Amino acid sequence: MDIVTLIIICVKALVVFAAIMLTVMAMTLAERRISAFMQNRLGPNRVGPKGLLQPLADGIKFLMKEDVIPSGVDKPIFLLAPVMLIVPALMTFAIIPFGSELHLFGRAIQLQVADINIGVLYILALTSVGVYGIVLAGWSSNSKYPLLGGLRSSAQLISYELAMGLAIVSIILLAGSLRLNDIIIQQQGHFLSWNVFKQPLAFLIFVVAVYAETNRLPFDLTEAEQELVGGYHTEYSSIKFAMFYMAEYANMITASALTVTLFLGGWDIPLMNEAALGNLGVLLSVVSFVIKTALFLFIFIWVRWTFPRFRYDQLMRLGWKVMLPLALVNIFLTAGYLTLTV
Amino acid sequence: MPLLKIDNAELEVESGITVLQAATANRIEIPHYCYHPALETVGSCRMCIVQIEGMPKLQVSCNTFVGEAPPDKKIDEKYDMVVHTQTELVKQGRKNVLEFLLLNHPLDCPVCDQAGECFLQDYAFKFGNAHSRFEEEKRVRPSEYLGSQIVINQNRCIMCTRCVRFTRQISGTGELFVQKRGYDFKISALEDQPLDNLLAGNVTDICPVGALLSTDYIHKNRIWNLHEQPSVCQDCSVGCNINVFYQKDRIFRVSPRENHDANGYFICDIGRYGFHRFEEIERMTSPMRRDEEELTEIQWDEAIKVVAKNLSDAKEKIVFVASPFHTNETNFMLGRFQKGFFGALPLIEEEGITYPSGFSINSDRSPNHRGMNDVCPSILEDMASEIDQQNIKVMYILDDGVDRELDQEWKEILMKMDFVVVQSYALTEVAESAHIILPGLAPFEREGTVTNDQGRVQWLRPSLPLKGKARPDWRIIMEVVNTMGKQELSYSDVGEILAEMGKCFPAYEGVSLFRLGDYGLSINGKVKSS
Amino acid sequence: MATIVTSYEPTFWDKLYFPALLRGLMVTLRHFFQKKVTIQYPDAKYIPPEGYRGLHRLNKYPDGRIRCVACEMCAAACPSGCIHIVPGAPPWEDGKERYPVSFDIDLLRCIFCGFCEMACPEQAIELTEIYDFSNSSREGLWINKDGLLEVYEMTKDENYYMKKSHEADLTSG
Repeated sequence: MDIVTLIIICVKALVVFAAIMLTVMAMTLAERRISAFMQNRLGPNRVGPKGLLQPLADGIKFLMKEDVIPSGVDKPIFLLAPVMLIVPALMTFAIIPFGSELHLFGRAIQLQVADINIGVLYILALTSVGVYGIVLAGWSSNSKYPLLGGLRSSAQLISYELAMGLAIVSIILLAGSLRLNDIIIQQQGHFLSWNVFKQPLAFLIFVVAVYAETNRLPFDLTEAEQELVGGYHTEYSSIKFAMFYMAEYANMITASALTVTLFLGGWDIPLMNEAALGNLGVLLSVVSFVIKTALFLFIFIWVRWTFPRFRYDQLMRLGWKVMLPLALVNIFLTAGYLTLTV
Repeated sequence: MPLLKIDNAELEVESGITVLQAATANRIEIPHYCYHPALETVGSCRMCIVQIEGMPKLQVSCNTFVGEAPPDKKIDEKYDMVVHTQTELVKQGRKNVLEFLLLNHPLDCPVCDQAGECFLQDYAFKFGNAHSRFEEEKRVRPSEYLGSQIVINQNRCIMCTRCVRFTRQISGTGELFVQKRGYDFKISALEDQPLDNLLAGNVTDICPVGALLSTDYIHKNRIWNLHEQPSVCQDCSVGCNINVFYQKDRIFRVSPRENHDANGYFICDIGRYGFHRFEEIERMTSPMRRDEEELTEIQWDEAIKVVAKNLSDAKEKIVFVASPFHTNETNFMLGRFQKGFFGALPLIEEEGITYPSGFSINSDRSPNHRGMNDVCPSILEDMASEIDQQNIKVMYILDDGVDRELDQEWKEILMKMDFVVVQSYALTEVAESAHIILPGLAPFEREGTVTNDQGRVQWLRPSLPLKGKARPDWRIIMEVVNTMGKQELSYSDVGEILAEMGKCFPAYEGVSLFRLGDYGLSINGKVKSS
Repeated sequence: MATIVTSYEPTFWDKLYFPALLRGLMVTLRHFFQKKVTIQYPDAKYIPPEGYRGLHRLNKYPDGRIRCVACEMCAAACPSGCIHIVPGAPPWEDGKERYPVSFDIDLLRCIFCGFCEMACPEQAIELTEIYDFSNSSREGLWINKDGLLEVYEMTKDENYYMKKSHEADLTSG
């Protein structure tokens, strides 16, 4: 690996990191404005033009708040937990391709921080690690509500990780590869070649599981303000509390990007050969990726302000008795189809 | 004894009393305006009409007498008279009377000072119609001054003539008369003799409506804002019973309280407006010490220590001076010093007046002269010579704040003293000569008992809060006695002192605040001891 | 009589859930595009309807004299005891014989029930539509006679919030 390659990778990592952080800020505002609009309100619109500087104000406020560490907490773990949550969320994004191959100064640059040939496995591994943040936060707080939040989170993880994994298996079967780029290439062509049309059931299962994975409504049992007073982050304050929120939104962004990659052809624009258009095509592909991701992010917020929270037993029943069998059936059907046709 | 039946009540009453008296004595309400127990009955308002069996028309109960009926005329074979006060006829009659009374009444209750204690208002509400058929213009006439303190609002007058009868029978001065007749009637005062006698204020009390008003109270406050405290007048030795109307720390009005053993129904204007005197006085609100002719404020602890030390050093060569204005308890507490001589401040004597009705203003203007003599051990007759003989140099004066002019003898006595303690709420001439001034309470702040010239002990109740650092007089004496160290007194309130007093003076045995109540107890016939 | 409650048996269509979920999503989406009800308060102000019970005022006669006769009916009717009146003689010769020497309302105690309005025999005290009269001190929320008469001047002609400029400090004085 020469020095230029290293620099390119670093630059890509920085760009992605910055992009995610900016999107997180935008999301905090978007969530508030969109929820307000759905309730016939206006939402925060006083800070800066149209309230665009609200996230900045929020950030300053979070930084100025007193950072309380309650007595009785397991301090190292208590401090580590927010980091444990945010790092996997950012790391997952590293392998997501956000555009086609860029040709610059005679070099071909993959618009992807790391092109790993076991990408899907990497994703599944990291999403599992992310839950540790929640569980540790809940446990180390030495308080009953966070503990319950952490417990729920671990149970939720097992129930939905399985279904999600199995939903992805059917995609892998189609693509024949664990590399995300291969999965995108496999979806290139026209609209119907997207996996969302080829695998609608897998798509549904995956999306539902992703909502559960990111602890968003209707599956935010780990937070559940009304029952658990905020769940795992009850005892957190100031910037550490902000980190939990950043992690939640970073998770959402990663999950949206992943959904787009696996089911909506990633950066691919249907009926169009990006490669033929040169670097303009690359730009278009990035725009396409951003638009698709943004759509999913909007749906995330939309769903949150539409549906009530699941009850715990309903959550478990849906996970084990509906989604898991459906995912298995889906694999069976996919595999059978492939066996018969190929 | 005739047997009277009013509604459902069977009453055995004395022959010759009126139906209204019989009903009132038995708590049966019959509304009335012109009738007043202290005044001659005229039966002009017609409000007290009742239905009496065997009489064709409604009768005025204030002027219908109960008597024995012949055995064959008895109703139901036992009643001498059967009266109905609640029949439809009576109710309708009252409504009609009220409608007439209200014909020209302005109904300006919101701006009328009587509102809240007005009989026209109460009865109209209770017995009257809610509407009037009178459509014409109401008669409007200007208010007039009947005397320097009394205003009449001619519009509100219902012509009961209580005030006119009052000036004729009670005060005997006869200033008021009814001018013209019928529609043009009005109450007027003689031109050359306005209503300025010392009982004039009572007409505002006996007026059942808001026609007669005292300039002292007019538009000052509303009656429902005021607290009413039964108490005793402090302006002469008659000890009239009064109600003090106050709000927060200000007295607005003093009105008579009915007590047939003391004052009857009325009070004089000296007592009625007397409370204003205390508003003007510059109060002593903290202990003072004389340093080189200058009075300087000191703390209570210090003041009491200085007093106690000087009294102890003087051995028994002290004169304790009691006051005929202070309560029995305070004067009694002075006796708790035990060793020393006792004197009294000079009395205040002014002209005494007795009115034809028997109401009198005593020439002895000190409220508790009798009580002071009762509860103080042997007061010296000739204090000046005794002081010279015994070579007394220390004096403890229980001053009463009355601004009396001291005669030469008293001035000389005070000049001779080395150390004078004065317990007072005002800087009087006596207090001017003091070395230490201990601020006590003013009238209307004090609590205790007073004994009037007839030997009636009455409960003096406080209506105003303590001012500044002032303390109850008996408590000051108790603290001085305790600081001197010979005795340990621990009275927590006036009642305990009264109980102690009963042990020392048989005349006061068994007297307690509870037994005194609103009307007091007579101690006549009991032995005075010392 | 017992009420028979029949539980709803979900059909297959119901059990699919997604159609219902989509319908729910459509509801929120519809509201997303609807007109917003928010009033941007300091910039735009809510205009209270007739009969709104806000800040008090003391009415005057056309000749400028105060209507109040200090009868204290309002103070007597007031359930929170926030009206403090000192009656006295009027400063002018003719006319009403009672006059409020001082008329104070403790707005912190007031519950804006409007009993004072109803009790007033002279239609002197009235509640106006003014609602934004907050202050940062207790003293600032003790409105006196001059203040109440000033409120009358501000509100006598038209709705206070219809006026172009209402910058006057309400609780001064």
